[in-house]
Amino acid sequence: VTLLVLCLVLMAAAVLLLGLTRDLLYSALALAVASVVLAVVLFLRGAHVAAVFELSVCAGLITVLFVSTVSLTKDSDQRDESPLPRTFIVPMAAVLLGVAWVGARFIVTRLPAAAAPAPGSFAEAFWGLRATDLVGQVALILTGVFGMLATLRAKDGGRPRG
Amino acid sequence: MAGGPVADPVFVLLLTGLFLFLVGVFLLFTYRNLLRLVLAVEVLAKGITLVLLAAGVRQGELAVIQAMLVTFIVVETVLAAVLLAIVVVCHRTYASLDVRLLSRLKG
Repeated sequence: VTLLVLCLVLMAAAVLLLGLTRDLLYSALALAVASVVLAVVLFLRGAHVAAVFELSVCAGLITVLFVSTVSLTKDSDQRDESPLPRTFIVPMAAVLLGVAWVGARFIVTRLPAAAAPAPGSFAEAFWGLRATDLVGQVALILTGVFGMLATLRAKDGGRPRG
Repeated sequence: MAGGPVADPVFVLLLTGLFLFLVGVFLLFTYRNLLRLVLAVEVLAKGITLVLLAAGVRQGELAVIQAMLVTFIVVETVLAAVLLAIVVVCHRTYASLDVRLLSRLKG
């Protein structure tokens, strides 16, 4: 539990850093750190396959996408950005933590606990019980591909319209 | 329980998950920069992942929840990719990442 708590505190700190830092590149790296720590948490709780997915896809692929987008848009007008004042963050984080504490207590007292862990492996659950999810995943990936193609299709050579 | 609720891993997972979810929602309402908004959505997704994991641990259905988590990670990735594509288009069109300019996008 101690290691788990340590990981979760580190994850929350990475997310707060993400909100505080003015540099988008550092924000993207903070998100990557949060993803890596989440992968460790998943591994610690026995969700090994999900941990590998989180590490490779979220910490890897999404970070690359973010850094590429930051690089592509670095010359944009950032004057409208309104970074949060640091003095405002601590009380707001405390309020959010308090609300989360009440919510977690509420859910834990009402969520029934299993008498014993259900038997079965990930493969049995994924290919047996949740096989229909694969259709959804394929549809999602195709939606993403076509969505990106449609969005990035250059109509006017990408000229800024002002 | 000895050590209070913090000694319960399900409670700690739920607490962090809900906290990240709330931070994500707060950032969504606070920022106007499109890239920061996508980051906020990702933070929100991390919170949901933790809450799903807590539910799986509590119910003893770790195999099923892992399958759901894999699907959720695919959803998260596709969402991020499409949102980042929209960010690039907004930058190409307006040379700015202000979310308020999106209302002027047409076609």
